[in-house]
Amino acid sequence: MAESVRAALFARLRERSPAPAEPAEIARALATIGYATAARMPHADLHTAFIANVLANKGTLELALDRGAAVRAIGRYLYKRFRTHKLVAGNDPRLAAMPWRDGGVLPRFGAAEPGDAAALSYARLGVAETGAIVTFTGRANPGRNNLLPEDHLVLVNREDVVATLEDAWAKIRIETGAGAWPRGIQFIAGPSSTADVEAQLVLGAHGPCRWHVILVGDTPAQALEQARGELPEA
Amino acid sequence: MKVASQDFLQQAHEALRAKDKVERRDLLGQFMPAARDAAANAYGDFDGLRAHMKRVRGHTTEHLAHYLQQFEEAAVAHGNQVHFAATAEQLNSTVLSICQTHNARRVAKGKSMVTEETGLNELLLKAGLEVLETDLGEYIIQQAGEAPSHIVGPAFHKSLAEVRELFLAKHKLGERALESVSDIVEEARGVLRERFLAADVGIIGANALIAEHGTTMLVTNEGNGDLCANLPPVLIICTTFERLLPRAEDAMALQRLLVRSATGQSHTCYTSFYSGPRREDDVDGPLETHIILLDNKRSDILASDYHEILDCIRCGACLNHCPIYIGVGGHAYGWVYPGPMGSVLTPLLTSLEQSHDLPNACTSCGRCAEVCPANIPLPDLLRDLRQEESAQQLKPARWRRGLRLHAWLLRQPVLYQRLTGWSMSALGLLGKRRGAFRRMPFASGWTSQRDFPAPEAGGTFMRQYAARKRRGGRRG
Ligand code: SF4
Repeated sequence: MAESVRAALFARLRERSPAPAEPAEIARALATIGYATAARMPHADLHTAFIANVLANKGTLELALDRGAAVRAIGRYLYKRFRTHKLVAGNDPRLAAMPWRDGGVLPRFGAAEPGDAAALSYARLGVAETGAIVTFTGRANPGRNNLLPEDHLVLVNREDVVATLEDAWAKIRIETGAGAWPRGIQFIAGPSSTADVEAQLVLGAHGPCRWHVILVGDTPAQALEQARGELPEA
Repeated sequence: MKVASQDFLQQAHEALRAKDKVERRDLLGQFMPAARDAAANAYGDFDGLRAHMKRVRGHTTEHLAHYLQQFEEAAVAHGNQVHFAATAEQLNSTVLSICQTHNARRVAKGKSMVTEETGLNELLLKAGLEVLETDLGEYIIQQAGEAPSHIVGPAFHKSLAEVRELFLAKHKLGERALESVSDIVEEARGVLRERFLAADVGIIGANALIAEHGTTMLVTNEGNGDLCANLPPVLIICTTFERLLPRAEDAMALQRLLVRSATGQSHTCYTSFYSGPRREDDVDGPLETHIILLDNKRSDILASDYHEILDCIRCGACLNHCPIYIGVGGHAYGWVYPGPMGSVLTPLLTSLEQSHDLPNACTSCGRCAEVCPANIPLPDLLRDLRQEESAQQLKPARWRRGLRLHAWLLRQPVLYQRLTGWSMSALGLLGKRRGAFRRMPFASGWTSQRDFPAPEAGGTFMRQYAARKRRGGRRG
């Protein structure tokens, strides 16, 4: 039965285009349509725009000059929130190589379990247009690490921030070019939320309640102030 | 889901009597359009984005067989099992047989309008499975035993107090305040979390199918759909072929339109692209994934003059902007899809005979078409359905005779102008003192709710027009 349903559907769809075009021809037609224009950016500077959108997404953000500073920032965050230094993180070589002792942080490397309060991901990309970070599922970042904990901490390198969603896909295409397509590619922009009751926004629906982004690299402190609207743009 | 659209008028009357619900909807009708407008304006060239999407959709539809094949091949190469279902029953039985193969007992579902359409839950429950809706709105109406009233916020019709009562009755958690919306969300989070972890099968829908990569895009805020897609050992994606788009970038353009039109957000928390079962490099995720592509008359619609309705991205903007939907609410429409998009889809997916009142539930104000991100000419499609209704003689005979008489009169300009002129003068005279009528013969439907204004002096439009022309004043 299944095969005949499939065949019947394809036959019906083909009826619609009586002269089936060559794939190359279809690709050319598609190329002439091009891509959409992205949303207007809140700031001219790429990183300021990214920061502003992370904050607009109800995330929190810190700047860290290097990995040492990032570890210390994570340590402070965990202690303030949970009075512990426990953390689960994927088996990302970049995470394994961090100077954890500097921040007194004790990560467990692997997949998040129901009791884990905080998880850390190293994002592949940041997208200024939406204030999203991008992760791939896999050993380096199991899918559930983004979803199960109360707090999701994310590191993103300054040089991995791109302007638009199209730019993000251009990079993803390169990374997945070798044929190793990940099971899941996740764009995450904020803590989980719902407005299903009384159309009132509540953070912490089924996924994390808090989403903390640490932008790693030499970003001037005023970018954060500008993004917060505390400093006028230069 | 069972169709109750034949009782639309009755259901609408009842809905209008529940004053508190009417007020809730009025607020929705103010709040949602304002949020949508603000987001569309902040975007920049939002109309340009809509036009772009229309071109992409047009291209995809023109080469649908090509893109479907491309999607299927890529999805199978990723390790998915792809199924085709011609009817709602076929989709339901495919899902059931997958569940039975795995001896599954517990199913966790993300929000899926397609499975609402096929009435999947009913069948699974009958077969002895435990089915849990995990989107908060869907969970609430599932617990209450109701149907969704809105395609984006299925429980918008319920007040905090009602949800509180429901949770106190359904969750045996002892004494607790449960006073705020946050309390409700937290309780649902706790109750559902355990059941996510225990689920044998996850079922989700898809916002887009990306042909080039054989992946499906899922857009959510709650993260429930992603939990369904990542935790249970088996994942079933129930979707339809008109969700196909050629490239990932096209899905992103769709996402930009969807979030702004649906909730006035500029992003959603989770936009995920799933390609299939667990890879060698994965330590979590489903071991087996199925994609079921439902037709359910969509290939008929594609071949018809109504094919543009297949471009609908289920954003709900046309509902929020429709004076009829805001007036009577989603349940009055009697099936899964309410509002303007539902008034087009319901007759096409069920039958015009059962639902011919829906295309008439339209004031032709055009607001839906103004905001529809997919640029679907909804008022035109509704008009065409009314025409079909007339051709199939589905209206009562008395109504049809009246319409014929009216049509005949419109074709006699002299007689028409005289008759309208006389009745205007007569009504003007009769209503001069109050300026309005409380009661009118043949118009009790109007006057039962409001006064009918008496015509002002000066005569009909045509008479005033002729008089102005005689005066020769271009200034008017
Ligand atoms: S018809 Fe248009 S406005 Fe209505 S739900 Fe579909 S896409 Fe949105």
